Amino acid sequence: MKSQILPPFTLEDNTLWKNLKSGDEKSFSLLFERYYTDLISYGNSLSPFSEKVQDCVQDVFTDVWLYRDSLQDSVVVKAYLLSSVRKRIARLFQRDHIFRKTASTDAIEFLFDFSIEHTLIDDETTAERVLHLNKLLNDLPPRQKEALYLRYHQGLAIEQIAEMLEVNYQSANNLLHRGLLSLRKEFQGNLFSALALFSGFSQLS
Amino acid sequence: MQKRNQYIEIEDFLADESFQLWILTKTDEQGWEEWTVENQQRAKLVEDARLLLLAMRAGNKEISPIEIQSALQATWKRIEEREISKKQNSKFSIIFLQKHWLSSVAATLFFCFLSIWFYNNQISPSNTVVTYNELIEENNEGLVEQTNNSDKPQIITLSDGSSVLLQPKSKLSYPKIFTGNERKVYLSGEGFFEISKNPKKPFFVYANEIVTRVVGTSFRIKAYSDQQNVEVLVRTGKVRVKSNELISNSDEIVLLPNQALRFVRKELVFNKITDITEDKSLIQNVGNIEQLSFEFTDIPVTQIFKTIEQAYLVNIDFPKDKLKDCHLTTSLSDQPLSEKLKIICKSIGNNTNYEMNGNQIIITSEGCN
Repeated sequence: MKSQILPPFTLEDNTLWKNLKSGDEKSFSLLFERYYTDLISYGNSLSPFSEKVQDCVQDVFTDVWLYRDSLQDSVVVKAYLLSSVRKRIARLFQRDHIFRKTASTDAIEFLFDFSIEHTLIDDETTAERVLHLNKLLNDLPPRQKEALYLRYHQGLAIEQIAEMLEVNYQSANNLLHRGLLSLRKEFQGNLFSALALFSGFSQLS
Repeated sequence: MQKRNQYIEIEDFLADESFQLWILTKTDEQGWEEWTVENQQRAKLVEDARLLLLAMRAGNKEISPIEIQSALQATWKRIEEREISKKQNSKFSIIFLQKHWLSSVAATLFFCFLSIWFYNNQISPSNTVVTYNELIEENNEGLVEQTNNSDKPQIITLSDGSSVLLQPKSKLSYPKIFTGNERKVYLSGEGFFEISKNPKKPFFVYANEIVTRVVGTSFRIKAYSDQQNVEVLVRTGKVRVKSNELISNSDEIVLLPNQALRFVRKELVFNKITDITEDKSLIQNVGNIEQLSFEFTDIPVTQIFKTIEQAYLVNIDFPKDKLKDCHLTTSLSDQPLSEKLKIICKSIGNNTNYEMNGNQIIITSEGCN
């Protein structure tokens, strides 16, 4: 979904990352411009305080620049940045609750609600179905929603999601599948084809 | 490109960027429309994926290029500030970089002052004191609290059969029933613990700043909130002690029978005492229970009951006539009170049972074999 924003003939993330590491300010700025919007919107789905989210995102970039020497060479840049934002927000939460010992990023909850593409719906049957689906989606547990969001909106691979949510590959896969599976069950097969249902089951087992 | 022919799940479509583009912006560079109508089953899948995508909008608020630029400027400014403070003074920069760390220390300090104020006791101001109430708050399992306001020790029997002899002005919090893989209790004051053996469920006593971990053994802990030291003295078995992770992560110290440990709260230092007879203050406080021997060789049951009465400060009511000629040989040193009673009753045989009600124990028996 984001690819539409990228201008054509852009440099690859990895190239920019490498240049940044060797001190190229231009590459840093390009990466900033490329991912700022995504990071802000992800941050806002974890914390209701948008000013703090902006702070966190800027701090993440500040750290990237200041500690560029110790950054890893081969990273998926977007996943790295999203994950850093998540950690920073988690730390913020942790500071606000002084004596909570839960230092892990589990402490933060995905607050985001999916909305509906109203402008793309022109008939009532579709509208009704989409509304129902949307409700089911938003009733999913926060972690499942977050996994779906990271997969389909931020375009992360399952490995990267697993790393971010601090679970193994299989668990991340389950989070994604269970989300859609329970949706199918709820929808009583009205909506989804038997084929999809079948393949969903066989993947889970 | 034709990988889409292998798509069999909604997920496959959702993850395809060009599919998303087609649905959401009607940009159909890869002929999705045509491809879809080729096959009916395919059309159904595509429709499902489309509906889901329509229901899954992430209302990404667009951020204008101007806003992004100003955020970028702000970030460069931040970087500059950090770099300057880094150069200025290395010490200062450490403080600056670790401001998060500092603020949490400040918070700890604040909390400690607060708790001192609450307790209004004589502990000198320090940022490391952990009190019983803080410990209880950490736990959310629904605890039972027992306070000994009398002037005599009180016996408490826990759900796993372990017994605690709670000294006056002390309190113990414990779950009604131990669940999970750990047994955790919280002590303020002094208690003598006899823990029933269960290697699968280690037993933890949280007392002020220290945590004592055992599997099955007997030991004494003295942890009054208004005293400067916390003491652990081991009678039988093996005991491990470390500081509560709330204040620091220390190594475990292992104590064996007749060894003790004194934790100096102000300095967070453990002093291990390998020969307790040389430490007068420890010896002074040794209660009945720690002095009495529970090794019995051909001893009248009445005598054994008397020993238990003295040790646990309980009353035992038993049919004296029926048991007057009974003798037992048994070793009860390493057992909690309920275990001791169980073993005695079993050894006597003949429908011998016990019932415990607070400090009152009633033995029923038909006499010994």
